Amino acid sequence: MIFIYLLSGLFLGWSLGANDTGNIFGAAVETRMLKFKKAALIAAIFITLGAMIEGSGPSKTLGRLGSVDALGGAFTVALAAALAITVMIRIRIPVSTSQTIVGAIIGWNFFSGRLTDFRSLLTIAGSWVTAFVLSAVIAGLLFLIFRSYLSKSKLHLLELDVYTRYGLILIGAFAAYSLGANNIANVVGVFVPVSPFKDLSIADLFVFDGIAQLYFVGSLAIVLGIYTYSWKVMRTVGKDLFHLSPVTALIALLAEAIVLFVFSSRGLYNFLLALGLPTIPLVPVSSSQVIVGAVVGIAIVKGGKNIRYNVLGRISLAWIVAPLMAFFFAFIALFIIQNVFEQEVNKDLAYRFDDKTVPLLIARNMDKSALGTVNGRTFQSERQVFHELDRTGAFTRDEIIRIIAIVEEYPMLVNTRLLREKGFVKRFAPEQLKAIETLDGQRFAHRWELAERLQDSSSWQRIEAAKNEIQKSRNNRINAQLDILYRTFFVK
Amino acid sequence: MPLILKTTRFVETQIDLFLDVVSDAAILFQLAMDDYLKERNDQFEERLAKIREKENKADELRVGIERYLYERTLIPENRGDVLAILENTDEVIDNIKDALLQFSIEMPVIPEGLDDLWMQTTSASVAAVEQLVFAVRSFFRDIAAVNNYIHKVYFFEREADHLGEKLRRLIFAQDIELSHKSQLRWFAIHIEKISDYAQAVCDRLSIYTIKRQL
Repeated sequence: MIFIYLLSGLFLGWSLGANDTGNIFGAAVETRMLKFKKAALIAAIFITLGAMIEGSGPSKTLGRLGSVDALGGAFTVALAAALAITVMIRIRIPVSTSQTIVGAIIGWNFFSGRLTDFRSLLTIAGSWVTAFVLSAVIAGLLFLIFRSYLSKSKLHLLELDVYTRYGLILIGAFAAYSLGANNIANVVGVFVPVSPFKDLSIADLFVFDGIAQLYFVGSLAIVLGIYTYSWKVMRTVGKDLFHLSPVTALIALLAEAIVLFVFSSRGLYNFLLALGLPTIPLVPVSSSQVIVGAVVGIAIVKGGKNIRYNVLGRISLAWIVAPLMAFFFAFIALFIIQNVFEQEVNKDLAYRFDDKTVPLLIARNMDKSALGTVNGRTFQSERQVFHELDRTGAFTRDEIIRIIAIVEEYPMLVNTRLLREKGFVKRFAPEQLKAIETLDGQRFAHRWELAERLQDSSSWQRIEAAKNEIQKSRNNRINAQLDILYRTFFVK
Repeated sequence: MPLILKTTRFVETQIDLFLDVVSDAAILFQLAMDDYLKERNDQFEERLAKIREKENKADELRVGIERYLYERTLIPENRGDVLAILENTDEVIDNIKDALLQFSIEMPVIPEGLDDLWMQTTSASVAAVEQLVFAVRSFFRDIAAVNNYIHKVYFFEREADHLGEKLRRLIFAQDIELSHKSQLRWFAIHIEKISDYAQAVCDRLSIYTIKRQL
């Protein structure tokens, strides 16, 4: 069964390869600086390297799909997102894969009665504007710098050609590497806890562990997407929107790499943090939006005469349509998978207001009389809790989300062996592991209970009201680690 | 880096050599014309032989450059333009050689009163070719300077036309046979045509320059 589930992840990988490679090498291939085969080979090598070297690193999250708590659900969400992306590629429009996946996840939220965090939706809508405008500005500036430098440098046409070509290859390879590192988790991350692959020992010299094998299979799917379908989107980026020359193609790609690096690199973020410098906020930017923004930026600096506004309009519309399409595909597919194929698409969690949770809520300054209306009751979905509490008018949306986090029953049995088996131990500090081991064999009914018990160890203590970035970063890391524990220790 | 640029530098040298050959041919044409007018026939024939060599050399270089550009898929965006520039510039040399060859075959008798104007027309045409060579060199290295040289090519072409017209009027004002006048007219046109070819290359070059600008 797991292999069938894995297929949708691979389909998503395929669509990602087809969609995102166009963003990286589209301009280079369309200006004939790189042959498609060469571009595809470079992309294939570096995406695989990125996925294998950084994608399987110990501190990476399992990807956005991780929030979907049942394998059947993850299968369907991946399938819906992949379908939506494929439809968009067919009409030659590059879309944001992450945003399409989020659209599908919201479909899952609606289907399974979970609440959607509207702030994340706003962030996505905001990133359409930020990523687009930022890369347009950076590409415009780079264009002016390049133009001024090239007019002064008196570089021979043939030498400029060589430098541009190598620039396109180098930056393209770098971008492909980042693509693999950042997106492999979207493709197969959700299958990590249930990976069907066993560790392979090659002549006792080298161990190819199960997760690495899973990531390798995922990157093969991406590579397949590159070779079979990525040429579809390449033309839109390199030619249809605005005719790029090789040098302007390089500028667009450079702007893309800078924006993606500056606004989505945790490495740079941590580096600035370590130096005590102010950090640049990590914005979820999409390579599709960034490259289109860069091309438009260059076109505007060149006078804005030759931009095909109808193509730009079509692309902008698709950025809204793709997540919406994924949302509907997911909703319909989840219904079919659950009712026709009788697969579990979400965990059946209960939300209980009992003598354990209500006093805690009161202790956290929640309205006592309003809680009286739900005291002693059990709800089957987050949405039911929300409607019930919202009716009282005593709580804000944020407060209700906090209440849900407390009353949600999430049965867990602490078992450190599971962490070892699944290769998660690398993600924890030795003191943290020791603290977990002391709880071995204990059962917890709520996530917060486990978190509170772990807080006995200083290595698990979060900083209340974190003030600076270092403290916030520590809290985020601990939250991500707790998330791994919750999912690993969950029992039905 | 030098390794990466090995082929590129080689092709650059070939292009520079090609342009040197064009420039040499233009200067040789002027010297040969002077020899012809001053009846230094042996020296004239030597110059013609040299121009033939230059023409062959230019053809060889052009074909070699074209092959390199295509085989190594260099400058994909500008390849067609560069080849057109080289081919058209090559036609200027062909024209120079054809004009001199015609002198060598027909040996037209040029009345003494025409010498000065004949040389002035020749100089204007040759100057147009020399400025063309500068313009083409700039197209590869210094795009901002191309228009300056193109302007000069147009200037010398107009000058050659103007002097050529004066020369033809003077030919027909001579007291010689009509057939002789007609023959001299064609030779005058041959000389003017050299600058016309240079101008035709510049017409294309100015468009390619716009295309090449960032």
